[in-house]
Amino acid sequence: MSSLSGRLLASVSLLLILFFGVTIAALDAVFRDLSQRSIGELLDAQLVALLAACEPDDHGNVQPAGALAETRLRQPGSGLYAQIRTRDGKFVWRSPSLLGSKVDFGGPVPAGERRLEQRSLDDNMRVMALTSSINWEIAPAVNREFIFNVATSLAPYEAQLARFRSQMLGWFLGLFVLLLGSLALLLRWALRPLRQIEMEIGEVEAGSRASLSASQPRELTGLAANMNALLKSERQRVERYRNTLGNLAHSLKTPLAVIRSALGGEPAIDRRHEIVNQQIDRMNAIVQHQLKRAAASGGAVMGQSAVEVAPMLVELRAALSKVYPDRDLLIEISAADGLAFAGDRGDLFELLGNLLDNACKWCRSRVRVVAARLPAADARTRLRITVEDDGAGIEIADRERILERGARADEQVQGQGLGLAMVREIVDLYDGTLEIGDSPLGGALVTVCLPGR
Amino acid sequence: MRILIVEDEQALRESLVTQLTAAGFTVDAAADGEEGLYAGTEYPIDLAIIDLGLPKLPGMDLIRKLREAGRSFPVLILTARDRWQDKVEGLQSGSDDYLAKPFHMQELLARVQALLRRSGGWSQPVIQCGDVSLDTRSQIVTVGEKVIDLTSFEYRILEFLMLRAGEVISKAELTERLYAQDFERDSNVIEVFIGRLRRKLDPEGSRQPIETLRGRGYRLVLARAESPGMRADGG
Repeated sequence: MSSLSGRLLASVSLLLILFFGVTIAALDAVFRDLSQRSIGELLDAQLVALLAACEPDDHGNVQPAGALAETRLRQPGSGLYAQIRTRDGKFVWRSPSLLGSKVDFGGPVPAGERRLEQRSLDDNMRVMALTSSINWEIAPAVNREFIFNVATSLAPYEAQLARFRSQMLGWFLGLFVLLLGSLALLLRWALRPLRQIEMEIGEVEAGSRASLSASQPRELTGLAANMNALLKSERQRVERYRNTLGNLAHSLKTPLAVIRSALGGEPAIDRRHEIVNQQIDRMNAIVQHQLKRAAASGGAVMGQSAVEVAPMLVELRAALSKVYPDRDLLIEISAADGLAFAGDRGDLFELLGNLLDNACKWCRSRVRVVAARLPAADARTRLRITVEDDGAGIEIADRERILERGARADEQVQGQGLGLAMVREIVDLYDGTLEIGDSPLGGALVTVCLPGR
Repeated sequence: MRILIVEDEQALRESLVTQLTAAGFTVDAAADGEEGLYAGTEYPIDLAIIDLGLPKLPGMDLIRKLREAGRSFPVLILTARDRWQDKVEGLQSGSDDYLAKPFHMQELLARVQALLRRSGGWSQPVIQCGDVSLDTRSQIVTVGEKVIDLTSFEYRILEFLMLRAGEVISKAELTERLYAQDFERDSNVIEVFIGRLRRKLDPEGSRQPIETLRGRGYRLVLARAESPGMRADGG
């Protein structure tokens, strides 16, 4: 079972069932014992009343003299029965209530003893029967032994027991539900900080929160503090890494710039000049490509907020108008407010910058960018960005080379491919998709799908 | 045209100074941001080339401070950081163009010339006033159909006057921006070159393309083929 409250509820339910089971069994036993005892007492009382009413008759037997006080003994099937037998089993007297019925009272008991036991009436009704052996002095110095049987139907007792049981079960069931319900509520309350921290972690992941809040219950403060420290160190690590790469690029490119400018302009004066120039180009491409690729994070750092797409597109458009001031470019942007990329800001900048720059470079005058959220799609490709232009488009052979995974950007085709190779690498880092097609505007239509929010 | 170079790498700075001077520019060089800010605010600069990673005052802040001080000359950023994020931030700080290291000198010169031309309100590389047309890329000047041979100083004066056609430009300004490092300031060399330019542009002396405003300076009176537009960033 994966839920804490589920585990607790299940184990508490089990315990309650066990506890209530034992309690119910004990109460049931006590109730039955009490009932039996009271039935025993009732039968004793009936026996005493019967004995009191009995008198020896002319035949040396005993039987109740006159009308019985207990009316139930006079009504057939009333539930209270009595009979008197001799030691050898001969009936001396039977109560009118036994008329037409037969109770098997069992054998006699030794003189002076009594026996209380369950017997059956007419083989189907259960009765509690008291058998007692009495030595009766029927004449002076003449004792005769009689077996007195008194029985009472167990039906009222059984009905009472059933009522007691159903009432008890009802109460316990109610109690059970009440206990479980209050426990569930209690758990909800007690586990709220856990759910809260879970929610906060979700927010950190989504980027809408930078760290976990400090006000946690004592048991969770350690966890939250450690988590925050981890987030912080991770962010710092990424930043340090980027800075190092940036510095590395800087410190490599500046000497390259010095060499190039020291060589003077083109055309090359001699073969050596030409070779050095070519090698500078090559080194530059390697530095640029490898460092850019290493700096691309390829995934959101925890606690980093998602990056809004629309403002970045607007910034890029402004920048591109400075990069291509002499060209009469019309860059249309269509992106919903709040549409965001779940990843690194620098990566999105690099991706959109390359896509737009590429389109601007190769278009005649129009570039169209559309960013949209894909409904119900895979989370990794929820953001779709299409960039199209009215240029000449991209050759089929170049498309394949650009889309080929694992190919290095600095070994790729020139022209359109150069910018798109970097785009492809970033898309790969995020497990996104890249497609190249034809735009209704006439040029290339590049579609990328990325993790979005 | 006077160009300010702010670059902390000495070898690169010196090489830039040499090559821009050879290309006909008057060059000021600064090794850090503070020096750059001083030169940018105190000298009559036409264009600045600024490295982003500068000691004392970072390039981005330097550009912001220059713009805050009301300097509107074009700024070309020169940097090793070429991620798009850096590029956009650099262009947002008030610069006009962005060039990544290592660069080709030809590329740098082309960008510089394009920026200067645009800061004069010209969007195309060939600028035209009346029947005089000047190609900023090839430095070829034609009057009507005829190509005119100009010395490099004559070309620089004409380019300056044409880029700012219609404006009055003082002799002192011309001296400062074009000759500061080559001639004594109080020589009458400007007058000599203006005289030669007039003869070359207008051999018959019928059109008077360059007007002299006594005590104030010179003005190119030929009509611009393009009206001066606003600078792209408004700064």
